[in-house]
Amino acid sequence: MIYLDNASTTKMFNECADVHKTFSCNEYFNPSAMSAKSVEVSRHLAEAEKYILSRLGAKEGNIIFTGCATESNNLAIRGSLRTGDYEYVFSAGEHPSVENVAKRLQLEGYKVHFVPLDKEYGYVDLEKLKEVLSEKTRLISIMHVSNETGAINDLAAISKLKMQICPNAILHVDGVQGFMKIPINLRSTAIDLYSFSGHKIHGPKGIAGLYVKNKAALKPLFEGGGQQFGLRSGTENVSGIMQLKKAVELIDENKNLEKVKSLKLLFHTSFLKDALDAGLKINDFEGSPYITNLVFTGVKGETMLHALETEGVIVGLGSACSSKKAGNRVLENIGMRRECIISSVRISFNAYMSEDEVKTAAEIISKVYLDIKKRVS
Amino acid sequence: MKEKVLLLKFGELFLKGKNRHDFISLLKKNILKKLKGIGCHLSETQGRLVLSDYNLGQEDEIIEKLKQVFGLIGVADAVATDAQLSDIEAEVLNCDFSGVKTFKIESKRADKTFPMTSMELDKHLGEIVLEKYPNLKVDLYTPNMIIYVEVRTNGKAYIYNRLHVCAGGLPLGSAGKGLLLLSSGIDSPVAGYMIAKRGLELEAVHFHSYPYTSVQAKEKVIELAKEISAYCGKIRLHIVSFTEIQEQIHKNCDSEYMITIMRRIMMRIAQKLAEKNGLGAIITGESLGQVASQTMQSMNVTNAVVNIPVFRPVLAFDKEDIMALARKIGTYETSILPYEDCCTVFLPKNPVIRPTLKRAEFLEGNLNIDALVQQAVDTEEILEIDTY
Repeated sequence: MIYLDNASTTKMFNECADVHKTFSCNEYFNPSAMSAKSVEVSRHLAEAEKYILSRLGAKEGNIIFTGCATESNNLAIRGSLRTGDYEYVFSAGEHPSVENVAKRLQLEGYKVHFVPLDKEYGYVDLEKLKEVLSEKTRLISIMHVSNETGAINDLAAISKLKMQICPNAILHVDGVQGFMKIPINLRSTAIDLYSFSGHKIHGPKGIAGLYVKNKAALKPLFEGGGQQFGLRSGTENVSGIMQLKKAVELIDENKNLEKVKSLKLLFHTSFLKDALDAGLKINDFEGSPYITNLVFTGVKGETMLHALETEGVIVGLGSACSSKKAGNRVLENIGMRRECIISSVRISFNAYMSEDEVKTAAEIISKVYLDIKKRVS
Repeated sequence: MKEKVLLLKFGELFLKGKNRHDFISLLKKNILKKLKGIGCHLSETQGRLVLSDYNLGQEDEIIEKLKQVFGLIGVADAVATDAQLSDIEAEVLNCDFSGVKTFKIESKRADKTFPMTSMELDKHLGEIVLEKYPNLKVDLYTPNMIIYVEVRTNGKAYIYNRLHVCAGGLPLGSAGKGLLLLSSGIDSPVAGYMIAKRGLELEAVHFHSYPYTSVQAKEKVIELAKEISAYCGKIRLHIVSFTEIQEQIHKNCDSEYMITIMRRIMMRIAQKLAEKNGLGAIITGESLGQVASQTMQSMNVTNAVVNIPVFRPVLAFDKEDIMALARKIGTYETSILPYEDCCTVFLPKNPVIRPTLKRAEFLEGNLNIDALVQQAVDTEEILEIDTY
């Protein structure tokens, strides 16, 4: 099997499983309890937090550990709401865990703006962003890397706009597809909140985090025993946090980035000429090398997905969280035609694949496309 | 001697003359299968079945199960006493009248040797209730509470005040066995439910077009089969690959006749499966005029390739009515999951609304129909589904 759906989830590092055993069966103590064992566990958590902060390049702030990036995004947005004449700004290309919160806020009566995407490259249109920002802006929520197209938003430029127009606004970045993939240095940005997830970086499912620069400015989603500064009550997922730390330790994002860049280039140049002639198109947004899109003219993406699985190649159909619905709103927002959208699949790599796998996959994709194209036309 | 029992009423069975006994035996068999694993005793008295000796507190669970048994019209949580007036009186007075302002007694005397007529019994029991609870009033038309008293020929009287409505229909298996064309939509599971309610046992056939359709679409159909199996009994689900047939039609026939010819080949495969498995009819979820392939003319053209009866239980139902029934039997939520099935790939832009037999037959001349049908039948996958 060649797995090319790493943007939906990744295979966990074996080392994480070892960490899981240690912190579930041996060091299983509740970090909030009073015993020396518990204090030891809570020290591990503090170290994990500190370590992840350092890898994000944060000078100050905390990590709030959550159950999933959806929770992190909800906490970031809902936790930043304030009563008063405020406005909330989102990009039109956000993941459903941001977009649907924004839509809900609209229904609840908040003033919400969606900033359109650049039609060619898929990142947020900075001119349009500038137009909607004002002193009333309370929150800006823009993703780091698009889960659909791989487009990378210019976080430095967005930070600059914020500091110029609305320095008091909170800047939230959904970093799920960027974390440990596209190097980031939070201290050189104006980012206040940054969401990330464990299972996208070869860690376990069920653990995610939110970087919080100023915890006093955030409100919790729910109340309880007051763990994690009262921002996320509930006993910490100790094993999950330690596994997340382990995954981060094992990743060298700069080295991986170079590797994946060359994998993507190899992939793009390995399609059979016949398939390209028949209508296989590479729809690359020149963003994250981890993600690329293919368009199979005349064949539904879903059909290709099933046919490829039969041949041992697993691909994705855009965000797994939204791929069950017809069409694709993000691709629509960047002006793709409907025929093109339903014919597209998302390919996403990881840094631990071999060149052989990528080359073989491109060849299989070419052959399967030629076969299906012949059968349906 | 008194005990808690469930009194089971069956519907049209009494109409069935000399076959009555067979119907009741079948009904009893189905009830016992439905209640498998629940300790209880089922006995028969003229016109009723009586379920007893179950663990008290299990009534609700049993009643919910009995609601899925075709042939039963109602079940009552009753107290059985000896058919003595004093016992009956005591039990009637024992009813919970709290919150009740008006009531009526409704007696039935199947045992004609009982010394009072039904009317006399109504009147007498009404009087003793009024004596004990002088604030109550009798209301024969819209009472808050009806107390039913049935004096049966087995020397027992049954007293109850609430009847749970069951599915009705005829016992499963009393009408033979048919083959349901089961898609992943809303209509066909409802059609299967309705025809099973008339006593027909079911096998089902589903056509899939992997890779044009997903594994999820197939899983969805299996789930639907499980949901209706709770009413329809064990279902053998034949899963037939339609991929090559669709590709061949797509290549060789006019696109506007695509669906017509697909349906004709599905019917041929269905008939072949029916013959092979001893099934006497084909059941579809077609509803007149709902889509192009369900016009009278289309049905005529698709029907022409089979010679066993084709039942279409929802033919005259509006979509809203079908949806309401789907919700009631619990298939709706599964049916509306978004995975496309066989019917929706290769969809022509303008399917023919009034196809002609002549044209369909002419176009089919481009296909090796017999071989395609045979190959489909030969490569079927069979799943046994039983949630009854």
